Amino acid sequence: MRAPVYALVGNPNCGKSTLFNALTGLKQKVGNYPGVTVEKHEGIAYSQHGQAMKVIDLPGAYSLASRSPDEAVMRDVLLGRREDTPQPDRIVCIVDASNLERHLYQVLQILDLGRPVILVLNMMDLAENAGVKIRVNYLERMLGIPVIPCEANKGRGIIELKLAMSRHELPLSKHRWDIPAAIAPAVSELQASLVDNDSKAPLIARAEALLLLTDNDHVRVAGSTPLHAKTEEILRSWKQRWSAEGMDWSALLVKARFAEVQRLCAEVLERRDATADSKRPFVDRLDSVLTHQIWGWLIFISVMGILFFSIFTLAEYPMNWIDSGMGLLTNWVRGAMPAGELRDLITDGALSGMRGIVIFLPQILILFFSIGLLESTGYMARAAVMMDRIMGKVGLSGKAFIPLLSSYACAIPGILATRTIEDRKDRITTILVAPLMSCSARLPVYLLMIAALVPGTHVPALVETGIMLLMYSLGTFGALGYAWLFRRTLLKGTPSMMMMEMPAYQLPSLRIVVRQMLDRASAFLVQAGTVILSLSILLWALAAYPKAPPGSTAQIQLEHSYAGEVGRLIEPAIKPLGFNWQIGVGLVSSFAAREVFVSTMSVIFNVEGNAKTNMIPLRDALHQARWSDGRRLFTPLVCFNLMLFYVFAMQCLSTVAVVYRETKSWFWPLFQVFYMTGTAWVVCFVVYQLGHLAGL
Amino acid sequence: MSSESQNRADRVPLTQLLAGEKGRVYDLKGESTVCARLREMGFCETAIVEKVGGGYTVLCQVCGTRIALNSRAADHILVEKIEG
Repeated sequence: MRAPVYALVGNPNCGKSTLFNALTGLKQKVGNYPGVTVEKHEGIAYSQHGQAMKVIDLPGAYSLASRSPDEAVMRDVLLGRREDTPQPDRIVCIVDASNLERHLYQVLQILDLGRPVILVLNMMDLAENAGVKIRVNYLERMLGIPVIPCEANKGRGIIELKLAMSRHELPLSKHRWDIPAAIAPAVSELQASLVDNDSKAPLIARAEALLLLTDNDHVRVAGSTPLHAKTEEILRSWKQRWSAEGMDWSALLVKARFAEVQRLCAEVLERRDATADSKRPFVDRLDSVLTHQIWGWLIFISVMGILFFSIFTLAEYPMNWIDSGMGLLTNWVRGAMPAGELRDLITDGALSGMRGIVIFLPQILILFFSIGLLESTGYMARAAVMMDRIMGKVGLSGKAFIPLLSSYACAIPGILATRTIEDRKDRITTILVAPLMSCSARLPVYLLMIAALVPGTHVPALVETGIMLLMYSLGTFGALGYAWLFRRTLLKGTPSMMMMEMPAYQLPSLRIVVRQMLDRASAFLVQAGTVILSLSILLWALAAYPKAPPGSTAQIQLEHSYAGEVGRLIEPAIKPLGFNWQIGVGLVSSFAAREVFVSTMSVIFNVEGNAKTNMIPLRDALHQARWSDGRRLFTPLVCFNLMLFYVFAMQCLSTVAVVYRETKSWFWPLFQVFYMTGTAWVVCFVVYQLGHLAGL
Repeated sequence: MSSESQNRADRVPLTQLLAGEKGRVYDLKGESTVCARLREMGFCETAIVEKVGGGYTVLCQVCGTRIALNSRAADHILVEKIEG
């Protein structure tokens, strides 16, 4: 017998992923804002008796009538339409106990599917704090299904849930609600036709019939398999009749469901007096300050300022440790191995490339820690409210803020997070501009260039922070500017609406924040250990072969090599920006990942394998780099210009692939590469030429 | 008759409630898909909404949840002011 398949469903931000992790022991990303999970995830849970149960975590949705791609995932899996996922045998429906009234709407929709359902009342502690008491037994009796109170984040109620899940027989709900009399005949007629003509199972057919009447876009409801002509005809004629009568059938259905929810709530909710709601005034105050036109912005800007400042000040010591550690390791290898090609490959190729990258680990840890911290407190959603006005001005909804903010870490999770955006044009615009937000892969490039700006001496942390904030704001304003442009030209449409649930304020869970930070850090290290390591070795080989005549200087060797050839090929295109062919090699290699630029520079400027040169940190090596006519290569203007290039240029193959997958078209990713890299070139050209005229 | 007109005067779009005021939803008007989504989020007829604050983007409390709506969305919701 195959393991039973369970689907976890519920409204956004009710704790599905936390429960999923508690059941399966997996580490799915959880967060305190709606829409963290945008794809389904599968895992195995074991009952108390070791029986395996397959569990599918689905993205949250307010209703089965889905409007955004992440919600469609839930509907399609529940209706058995996803080929890659078995139709769930049983459904675990999770609701936020402190919000029963709103969440029960979806529970009723799920019960209509006619599958065994277990109802989990999550966040019982929050409900109790809010002065809400739920008569669990009563609810269980009224719905006729197991109802399990639980606090998934503290692991309470998990055993009871597993016991219920491993029961051989689960009762089907006997709960029925009254479909409005005017609509009931249409539902049965549609249901019959769906069974006869579209060969659906009777209970699924009823749920689908109700969905067809709730959502006006029946193509969207039907999914990839279009409705049978007869079913479509029935639907059309009923809608025609109702329209003629001036009846809003979908509103009627939703209202009837809500009336039923209110009836249930009146029975099972026992509200203590309002004084128990003592947290409300505090939350109200906090909300009004955090979203205040002046205070809100001051707080927002200070939070971001502190975040970046701490990236530079706190990370300094661990960075020095890593640097000297890697230096010792290189020296040790150099001493322990006989001189030769292999030793050069390890020290000048692998180790020097790794050293350039691993050194940024502390800063990336701090960045992810801070973002995780802000997410889990509930501040992020308030920041989205603050940003909604600006977003609205450029034609995006406030919901685009979270994808854009995630893009500061990496554009890929950012682009995945756009699935919560209902409007397609809105979503594509967000995808197009998301990579303009400076991601953490650019951080190493910025840091190297800032260090190279003032060679030899130490750059004050305040100056570093200032330049960094400038780069981040250039990317941000660039993104907003292009969004504005796209929404007026390429992706014209009605301005979008923002409807977003505000998560409760919480003390951040250090455990979750740290775990997420470590996950990201290990992903970074894996990337450094695989892609970047192999590219470093490849680059070393490209720079070391073919061999120049013996006795040539490093400079001549590099010019003679394959890498030199590639660099020289693109040099005419980048010379007007102040970049030479060596930088060109770095730009090309950045397509694998932007941070590769740093390791490329380490490899390229250390190629001569001279022990003395290797001891000098990379920034001093850059300082010594010269054009063939003896001019300094990395002047402050060029360093600045390189940062600008990285702000705007699209240089990430993984992002291109993800954009293709999300938009299902090659047009958008190619357009994105073209417009971003074009912008980078034009901006750098103007800045360099003007700077040159000004004598910089 | 006078109480009738009194009632009418109390019927306003959600955007026109002042911070701290409460209203009962009596109708949703405008684009039907937006209305359906608002209903699903809890702004169903007879639901009680309290406006917490906000200008361009309204923060309000409905069905025990805090929800942010921008004014374009909030304009779909018509409420009757209630006391207390």
